[in-house]
Amino acid sequence: MTFTLILEQTFNGLQAGVTLFLVAAGLTLILGIMDFVFLAHGSQVMIGAYAAAAITLATGNFYLGVLLAIPVTFASGYLLEYLIIRHLYRRDHMEQVLATFGLILFFNEAIRVSFGPAALFSDLPPSLSGFVEILPATPYPAYRLGVIVVGLLCAVGIHLLVSRTRIGAMVRAGANNPEMTAALGINIKILFRFIFATGACLAGVAGMMLGPLTAVQPGMGEPLLILSLVVIIIGGIGSVRGAFVAAIIVGLVDTLGRVFLPAILRLFVEQATADGAGPALASMLVYILMAVVLIFRPTGLFPAKG
Amino acid sequence: MSGLSHFLILASDGMKANRLFWLLIAGFALFPIFTHFADLPFWNDVAMRIMLLGMAAMGLNLVLGYGGMVSFGHAAFIGIGAYCVGIGEFYGLTNGWAHILLGIIVCGLMGLVIGYLALRTSGIYFIMITLAFAQMLFFLFVSLEQFGGDDGMSIDRAEFGFIDLYNPLRLYFLIWVILALVGLGLMFIVHSRFGVTLRAIKSNESRIEAMGLEPLQFKITGYVVSAVICGLAGVLFANWQEYVSPDIMHWTRSGELMIIIILGGLGTLAGPLLGAIVFLLLEESLPIMLGTVAPAYAENWMIIFGPLLIMVVMFGRGGLVGLLAAQRQSKNNPKRDKAGQ
Repeated sequence: MTFTLILEQTFNGLQAGVTLFLVAAGLTLILGIMDFVFLAHGSQVMIGAYAAAAITLATGNFYLGVLLAIPVTFASGYLLEYLIIRHLYRRDHMEQVLATFGLILFFNEAIRVSFGPAALFSDLPPSLSGFVEILPATPYPAYRLGVIVVGLLCAVGIHLLVSRTRIGAMVRAGANNPEMTAALGINIKILFRFIFATGACLAGVAGMMLGPLTAVQPGMGEPLLILSLVVIIIGGIGSVRGAFVAAIIVGLVDTLGRVFLPAILRLFVEQATADGAGPALASMLVYILMAVVLIFRPTGLFPAKG
Repeated sequence: MSGLSHFLILASDGMKANRLFWLLIAGFALFPIFTHFADLPFWNDVAMRIMLLGMAAMGLNLVLGYGGMVSFGHAAFIGIGAYCVGIGEFYGLTNGWAHILLGIIVCGLMGLVIGYLALRTSGIYFIMITLAFAQMLFFLFVSLEQFGGDDGMSIDRAEFGFIDLYNPLRLYFLIWVILALVGLGLMFIVHSRFGVTLRAIKSNESRIEAMGLEPLQFKITGYVVSAVICGLAGVLFANWQEYVSPDIMHWTRSGELMIIIILGGLGTLAGPLLGAIVFLLLEESLPIMLGTVAPAYAENWMIIFGPLLIMVVMFGRGGLVGLLAAQRQSKNNPKRDKAGQ
């Protein structure tokens, strides 16, 4: 029984971890390579979720919704970079914070105006709403398993793209030294736009997959944005590998901590105290983890620059 | 005796140099007379909110404007200050002065811990770490069910000895006095040896190091002082709102504080207060303006405010204080201004 629970929660943690990775992968490059504080990355999650939910509701086909939403998120990232972001690369960090904060306000309100303040719900297709036995007599929701598989496939794809292709070599060179990369004749402007749009697309995919699991509503990407910032700090800014490791760690620690920490505390202190302190401590766990990493490795686990 | 006269000379010099700030303070003192005769008591409330947000922004401005540290988590200190009132009352501590003392101590300690950890880094890391710590505290208060959790807790206005905050305008002038004292304190801090060093660190940290000073000590001290000022604003905020919930330390409030400083003018005494005035007037008037054009969308004023913010960043430099100063200069020196172009 407890083993089943641990296994199930570990899978939930993995699912949270890969979703976080999809958000953090693009963001870590935007922060690391472009040295740009982009807070509106959570809005890309929301745009992806809304695009998928709206198309699914219109066509009645979940797969079509997801498939058509992917180019929408890519286009939104591309346009955003072209219209606004590229004018802000040379500004200082605080101005970037403010401008992208303004973008968040705009996107949240624009979504509220066009879709209403209430959450959208889209049903899963029958093929995904069942359960899969991950071990004999241990059923697990097929959809969540699908999210893990898609997330891992994306991670492998990003890894191959970054480590095996010409574009990936440019990205790595850009992460290490943008000026030198530009001096070697690489069109850094186009590279930036490509990274930005791809990052937006990945965040959008995270949003699409989260849609059926949580409520699709304005501001839904913001908690994910903050957690992915924690992931990026732990993994090291600009490092996709660091983002993956840290995302899995954060996903597991957060999920397992919330479930098991109150029970573990109960072993050491009396029940009332444990029930009070457990959830409080669990909600702080990933931030404490971040603080510990900072004390021992201020540049994260896998620093990209060096 | 000479100490006192020295203080008075410094104070009057500072008042001359920061005339705009003290004019605003005088304006806030006279404002209730206006609202009384114009029969607009609601605007006293708006003015209190302006003073409270302005005070918090002045605190943040010490690290952001003067020290060049982009902290994105100062709303947490407002929240801690406010919860010092809420949790204090929960355990039977109803004295307002005690709340203020508690707020100063707790915010100072939290500022020390967060500052010590976050200031090991700089740049983007610092922004994100301060944000993350603020979120940690936000979720901590969300999960503390005994203090209301997500829903928050209601508060009775505290007992400030002979000042009964339930009497009209007592709270207004308590906020006003503390705001003026914070302004006076900041004026001295900024021009003290400490303040000058802090500003020098902003422009060139390694040079300060080369002079044999330890920049980290100055930065942490500045961070603690600014945390304490935000905490003070939080204690008063809780009394004004008669209610405290984690919402008070939502990360968007840290963004608001930054907006206020940028709008008003970075690294000036009057800037944050002026910015708070403009910010809250926009917040009050945009829905009305939008409502006359498109009544159905009056509450969606953020759709205008967001792009407005982006425009301010893209085209506006130096904030309103900079704008006013530039205008005054061109009025005084029209020739030089033309020649300069």
